[in-house]
Amino acid sequence: MSVLDELVAGAVEDQRSREQEITLDELKARAATMPAPLDAKRWLRRADGIPVIAEIKRASPSKGFLADIDDPAALAREYEQGGASAISVLTEGRKFLGSLDDLDRVRAAVDIPVLRKDFIVNDYQVWEARAHGADLVLLIVAALDDDNLQHLLDLTNELGMTALVETHTREEIERAIKAGADVIGINARNLKNLKVDVSKYSELADNLPENVIRVAESGVFGSVEVEDYARAGADAVLVGEGVATADDHVLAVERLVKAGAKVKASEETPLAEHEGPYFGQFGGRYVPEALITALDELERVYNEAKVDPEFQKELKRLNQQYVGRPSPLTEAPRFAERLKEKTGLDAHVFLKREDLNHTGAHKINNAIGQALLVKRMGKTRVIAETGAGQHGVATATVCAMMGLKCRIYMGQVDARRQALNVARMRMLGAEVVEVTLGDRILKDAINEALRDWVTNVEDTHYLLGTVAGPHPFPAMVRDFQKIIGEEAREQLQDWYGIDHPDAICACVGGGSNAIGIMNAFLDDDRVNLYGFEAGGNGPESGRHAIRFAPGTGELGMFQGAKSYLLENSEGQTLDTYSISAGLDYASVGPEHAWLKDIGRVNYSWATDEEAMEGFKDLCETEGIIPAIESSHAVAGAYKAARDLKEKGYEHPVMIINISGRGDKDMNTAGKWFGYLTDDQAKALEANGASGSQTA
Amino acid sequence: MTHATTTPSGQPLGISHKPSPCRQLFAEFKADDKPAFIGYLPYGFPNPEVSLTAFKTLVDNGVDIVEIGLPYSDPVMDGPVIQAASQIALNNGEKIAGVFKAVETVANAGGVPLIMSYWNLIYHYGVERFAADFANAGGAGLITPDLIPDEAGEWIEASDRHGLDRIFLVSPDSSDERLKIVAKNARGFVYAASRMGVTGEQATLSSSPEQLVARTRAAGAENVCVGIGVSTPEQGRTVGQYADGVIVGSALVHTMLDEHGHALADPGAGLTLLAERATALAEGIHNARK
Repeated sequence: MSVLDELVAGAVEDQRSREQEITLDELKARAATMPAPLDAKRWLRRADGIPVIAEIKRASPSKGFLADIDDPAALAREYEQGGASAISVLTEGRKFLGSLDDLDRVRAAVDIPVLRKDFIVNDYQVWEARAHGADLVLLIVAALDDDNLQHLLDLTNELGMTALVETHTREEIERAIKAGADVIGINARNLKNLKVDVSKYSELADNLPENVIRVAESGVFGSVEVEDYARAGADAVLVGEGVATADDHVLAVERLVKAGAKVKASEETPLAEHEGPYFGQFGGRYVPEALITALDELERVYNEAKVDPEFQKELKRLNQQYVGRPSPLTEAPRFAERLKEKTGLDAHVFLKREDLNHTGAHKINNAIGQALLVKRMGKTRVIAETGAGQHGVATATVCAMMGLKCRIYMGQVDARRQALNVARMRMLGAEVVEVTLGDRILKDAINEALRDWVTNVEDTHYLLGTVAGPHPFPAMVRDFQKIIGEEAREQLQDWYGIDHPDAICACVGGGSNAIGIMNAFLDDDRVNLYGFEAGGNGPESGRHAIRFAPGTGELGMFQGAKSYLLENSEGQTLDTYSISAGLDYASVGPEHAWLKDIGRVNYSWATDEEAMEGFKDLCETEGIIPAIESSHAVAGAYKAARDLKEKGYEHPVMIINISGRGDKDMNTAGKWFGYLTDDQAKALEANGASGSQTA
Repeated sequence: MTHATTTPSGQPLGISHKPSPCRQLFAEFKADDKPAFIGYLPYGFPNPEVSLTAFKTLVDNGVDIVEIGLPYSDPVMDGPVIQAASQIALNNGEKIAGVFKAVETVANAGGVPLIMSYWNLIYHYGVERFAADFANAGGAGLITPDLIPDEAGEWIEASDRHGLDRIFLVSPDSSDERLKIVAKNARGFVYAASRMGVTGEQATLSSSPEQLVARTRAAGAENVCVGIGVSTPEQGRTVGQYADGVIVGSALVHTMLDEHGHALADPGAGLTLLAERATALAEGIHNARK
């Protein structure tokens, strides 16, 4: 006799002895006097959360005794207060130590659906559930043959109740569906080791009809399992021990409800309007508590500004009159020729010219937006990090224009290879602090800026330059950068009469220019999106900043957000390397991590060599000197072209985002291509302006 | 969740109702009307062997709860002294698996072992795996400087299963709402930062920690300890008058560094200085209310 057989036999024996006291007809009469059952289906699926069925559970055959529950009504009320959508009451008395008395007391205590959980195999038990006020009953497929399952399911529905039909295998699921079950409980416990296996759940729950509500039934303990099941597509969860044995039942249920809501919000579409703090499982606020007040304030002020027409008007005015927006969309026929020579693809290529913005890069779009917020918050001091120096220059520029105090943190390695930009920032009145800690590159500058912010948060705003960091930065910076893609789409239509591009290419360091040009096209499946990371000396070399390729980045928390991260076997951040300071970063914006995971953007990389080749190609064919960062997008266009060709495109329209201009990179380029005499090179060497070496 | 620790029969562990080690300690200290001395050193500084001796030295010289720091490449809450010490530890081969030895050392010496770690290290090791290994070694709880309760779901679950304390931070500008969230989710005690900023010694303390302690208690926290910037016995005495515990870090680390931020050539001399500094601080803190 299996455990289940034994439990069923015991339950039936107990039912028979109850029937001696109360006949089926008496039960039916009593059921008729009960208020109508609640439609549990309305409670078990919602767009903005994962309903929690919380169980009154004293013991189980596998775990033995769990908790004294003297007052099930009080416990049920606590569950309800914590946000439970239904209460499950075990009425089996032998192994689970439950009773119908528990059911009565719970029913009287709460206004949400109540589930009678027992080993139900006959009509009497179903009528009994109704007579005691249940809205839901559990039917276990493994305990019933097809006819009996069908019959009890029909009876349950006739009585206005809902059946939670429990299954363990795909075969049982098929039987449940055939019988017409519309709430299916899936028990994904691995019977070998009793562990819960979410991948097994996904396998089982795959291809269920849309109208079927999926309840994850096994092993839900805390928010980890709720998140896992929610991401695997469960509509609701049933939890017993995790809430019944908690010290604080309200808090325990609350945590589960929050975890479910978090997952739902993190997957909201349309993609272009997705808001933080979470992008899929990425993002969040992994920062010291000391920054939470400032982040909350920033989020609040930004949300107000976003819908304030005066703010938008001022932003637009500055973009036009100060930055010089819109930046043109330039046709690049001679580059397209070269692309054809190299790849055989006859593409129509356009360049989005962020290099023509004031200060020479896309960074100013975000700097202006945030500086307006600084004014709005009444803060007087701005700090920022910079890698290539473009964001530092943009920040120093807007601070000069708006009369704000400005300090820029820059890794010493970066400061040396971008000495001219350091001079520019100082000209603009900013204080430039060379960071000599860690690897002395972008991430170390961000660390120092964060320490400054923690210390001076009262009057200081941290003007983060990319779509990374804690919420609300990723979503906010994206919003200030998405004008790039919106303009490009409009220009393509208005200037060139082309409805939409077939492909977008952008470089990805933190990812702000890429998200800026991609946002407008995220929900348009006709547009292939390509992001290119800094390949350095190639993925196998260990000297690169590729986070997305297999064997490179891992999931981790870095500088405020969960994303992909280059780290060693100990979880320490790895040194990164790229010829371009602006892409030389160990992590990547959380939205990109999400877009990678859901397969919306195709991420690849360009090595130093490929990027410098792209740099040269664009100079020679179009008379445009791109930043070395942007050259990764140019080089990437060759890779994208090969991919498009493979997909069958013959004359695709491609847009490459030229995120910045390359004047700042002439030292590096001059040396790379041997355009400098030995003396000149030596002079630059002495100045330290060479690759990753400092003097 | 597939990594969840299981019982011998293969069942996932339930909620441990093991009493909080920190809470027990504070109950005893409160009975004596005495604040606890919480001392910090990074594990592996200046190297793994010496650091074990250093932890024992702390407990032998009056430290009640030891905050064992896990060195991290990007410690955004730490000032120059602890940054330097962490870097030295990393350069000298610190490995996270070795920290459990430090936990055992502290426990065997009679101290309460806590680990202070930036979250990525724990996340990368595996939250459940870390909790299990840490609890097995006799660990009491984690201080998480860059993990707020809102992001701590996995840690709350693992710490519940293993009966570990969860020490979250609050700072002087935390709103009452935030204090409540922290107090509700904390276990053991709440770590109140004496000022806005990163770790490091300072000549004078403002009056804000006293207010913050009072506000944090009002928000529901049972025990509140004050750290960041407490470096002298006099400061320890002042803070100990109102806080349940006084946390000292940089001032202890400092004894084992030279003026250039390098490890002392003679670690023995550093340990002697460490013992002296700990004794003096313990004297100030433990007698705060006498």
